[in-house]
Amino acid sequence: MTSPTLQITHVTKHYGSGATEVIAVRDVSLTVEPGEIVLIMGPSGSGKTTLLSMMGALLKPTEGTIQLNDEIISALAENRLPDIRLRQFGFIFQDFNLLPALTVLENVAIVAELAGMKHGAAQQKAAALLTDLGLGERLNFLPEKLSGGEKQRVAIARALANDSALILADKPTANLDSKIGHEIMRLLRQIAKEQGRSVVIVSHDQRIKDIVDRVLWLEDGRFKEMVTMATDPVCGMAVEREKAAATLEINGQTYYFCSKGCRGEFASQPETFLGSETHDRYQSL
Amino acid sequence: MLRLAYRNLFQNKVRLVISAGGVALALLLILSLDAIFVGVERQVTAYIDHSGADIFVSQSGVRNMHMASSSLSASAVDEVKAVPGVESVTPILYLTNMIVVGQERNLAYVIGLPPEAVVGGPWRVARGVSIPAAGEAVIDRGIAEKSGMEIGDKVKILGQEFKIAGLSEGTASLVNSVAFISMEDFARMRGNAQAVSFLLVKVRPGESPETIAARIEAKVEGVTAQSRLVFSEQERKVIKDMSTDVVAIMNLVGFLIGLAVIALTVYTATFARRAEYGVLKALGARNGRLYRVVLAQALYSAALGFALGLAFTLLLSVIVPRLGLNLALQVSGASLLKVGSLSLVIAGLSAILPIKQVAGLDPAVVFQRGVK
Repeated sequence: MTSPTLQITHVTKHYGSGATEVIAVRDVSLTVEPGEIVLIMGPSGSGKTTLLSMMGALLKPTEGTIQLNDEIISALAENRLPDIRLRQFGFIFQDFNLLPALTVLENVAIVAELAGMKHGAAQQKAAALLTDLGLGERLNFLPEKLSGGEKQRVAIARALANDSALILADKPTANLDSKIGHEIMRLLRQIAKEQGRSVVIVSHDQRIKDIVDRVLWLEDGRFKEMVTMATDPVCGMAVEREKAAATLEINGQTYYFCSKGCRGEFASQPETFLGSETHDRYQSL
Repeated sequence: MLRLAYRNLFQNKVRLVISAGGVALALLLILSLDAIFVGVERQVTAYIDHSGADIFVSQSGVRNMHMASSSLSASAVDEVKAVPGVESVTPILYLTNMIVVGQERNLAYVIGLPPEAVVGGPWRVARGVSIPAAGEAVIDRGIAEKSGMEIGDKVKILGQEFKIAGLSEGTASLVNSVAFISMEDFARMRGNAQAVSFLLVKVRPGESPETIAARIEAKVEGVTAQSRLVFSEQERKVIKDMSTDVVAIMNLVGFLIGLAVIALTVYTATFARRAEYGVLKALGARNGRLYRVVLAQALYSAALGFALGLAFTLLLSVIVPRLGLNLALQVSGASLLKVGSLSLVIAGLSAILPIKQVAGLDPAVVFQRGVK
C-alpha cells in the first residue's frame, strides 16, 4: 500500500489573541492519496484559503501536524520552507499570477531554474511541458497576449516544472468561462491520474465537482459531511439537512432552509428561486 | 533571475526613461562639471604648456604664475645662461590685470616679451605679428572678435593704449586670456625697474630639464627652477585647490539627485510588482534571489544612466567649443572612475528600501491578491 502524499492531523490555526482572536481552521484532519483529486468547497471566510496556505507551507499551523510524503513540514524551521515549496509543491492561482515581463517559456523555466536546473535544461523542460499542454506555438508570447485558458495552462505547466508531488490550486476556474474551466479541470485530472500527482483544489465552482475524486465542505473552519448538506434556495447558504430550520416539499422534491423567513419567501413564489443556477446548485448538493 | 530584473526594467518604458534619464542628468552634472574644471585647468596652463620653454625660473619660493608675483634681478639672466646645459634664456615680465578691448574688460595674463624672444610668445598666430614691438599688443582673436576689434584697433593694457598688431589663437579660457606686449613697454609702465618676472630656459639637446633645473638652483642664488611639466602641474594644483569645494558641493548635489531618482524609481517599481515578488516567494524563491533582482534593477538603471550621462557630456564637449565660448570640456579618466564608483554607490543605496519591502512580503499574499 502506498503512503499518502499529504496528511493533515488535527490542524488548528488562530489569528490574533485575546478578544481579537480568530480561529480560522479548527481541528481539521485530511489525507490525500497519490493521484487523488480533492475539492474543498465552502462559503467565504470558512478558512479555505488559510487551510490551503498551511498545506502549501506558506503558513504554519497553531496546532496539529502537516506531513508531506514522509516529512512533517509543519515542524520545519521557517528558512527551510521556501525549499519545500520549490521542490514539493506546484501552485495554481485564481489570477494565474504569471510574471508579465517574462515570456510564456520563461515563466515556466524560472521555477526549474530556481530549483537548481541549468538555464538550457530548464528551457528545454519548460518547452516540453508547454508543448504537451498545447502551447507549443505560444512559447515566446508575453502573458498579456494569451487568453484566460492559455494563461491557466501556462500556470499548470509552471506547477509541473519542479516535478511536485502535490498541486495546490486556488479557484483555478474562477476567471474562466465554463467550457475552458471544464477543459482545465479535465487537464488537471489527466495529469493527476497519468502522473500520480495529488491535486487539492479550493473552489466555489459547483461545475467541477463531477471531475474530482472527493469533495469536502469547509465551514466555520471545520469539515462537514457533504451528504448532509444542502443549499438554501433563497439565500444560498449551506444548510445541514438534519438541522435545517425549515423544509418544504414540492413535487416530491424536498427543499431545506436556513430560516422560516427564507421558507416563506420561497413558498410564495417558488418559480423565482427555481431558476437554473440556484436549482442546479441545490440539486448537485 | 537577472533576466527578470532586466525585463522588469525595460517593460515599463516611461519608468525606464525617468529612471535612467534622471540618473543621466544627475551624473551629467558631475561629469560635465569635472570636465569643465579639467578643461579650465588645461586652458589655464596653456601658456606654460605651449611656451616652448623647458624650464621656468622664478623668484625663490614662487612655484606658479596664477595669482603669484615673481621678481628676479636682470643679472639673473646671465647667471642662468652661464649654467652648463642651458642653451637659451628668455626673460619675460608678467602680471595679471584687466585689459580693455572695446567695451569689454577681460582678465588677462599680461606678458612682456623681449624682441629677440626665443620662447614665451604666442604659439599660434591667426593674423599679424607674433612678437609685439613698442606700442603694440598681441591679443586673443576670440576676445578681439567679441568686441568687434581688428588689427590696427586700440586696446588698453595696464592703463596704456596699445595698437593691436597680432591676433593669437588658443590663448583664452573661461577664466582669462593671455596678452603680449613688448618688454620695453611693460618695464616702462613699471617705472623702468631693472627686474624680470620669469626666465624661460631652453636646455641643450639631450639634456634633462629636471637635471638642469636642479643645477640652476644650485648655481644661482635666490631662484626656484622647475621643469615645464612640474611648473604646469603646480599651476593646475592652485586651480584645483581653489575649485575643490565647489566641485565637492556640486558632486554632492549630483550624487543626491541621482540617489533620489534611482531610489524612487526602484522603490515604485518594486512596490508595483510586490505581488509578483510574492508569487516568486510562494513558488519558493529565497529572499536572497529576490534581493539580487532588485539590486540588479538598480544597477541596470545606474549603468544606463552613467552611459547616457557620459554620452551627453561627450556631446557637450564637442558642441560647447563651437558655440564660441572660451570653454573646453575634457573628460578625464579620474572623473570617469569617480562617477562610475558614485553610480555603483547610488545603485547600492537605492536598493536598500525596496529590499526591505521585499523582505517584509508575506508569500501567502498570493492567495489574497494577484497579478494578471
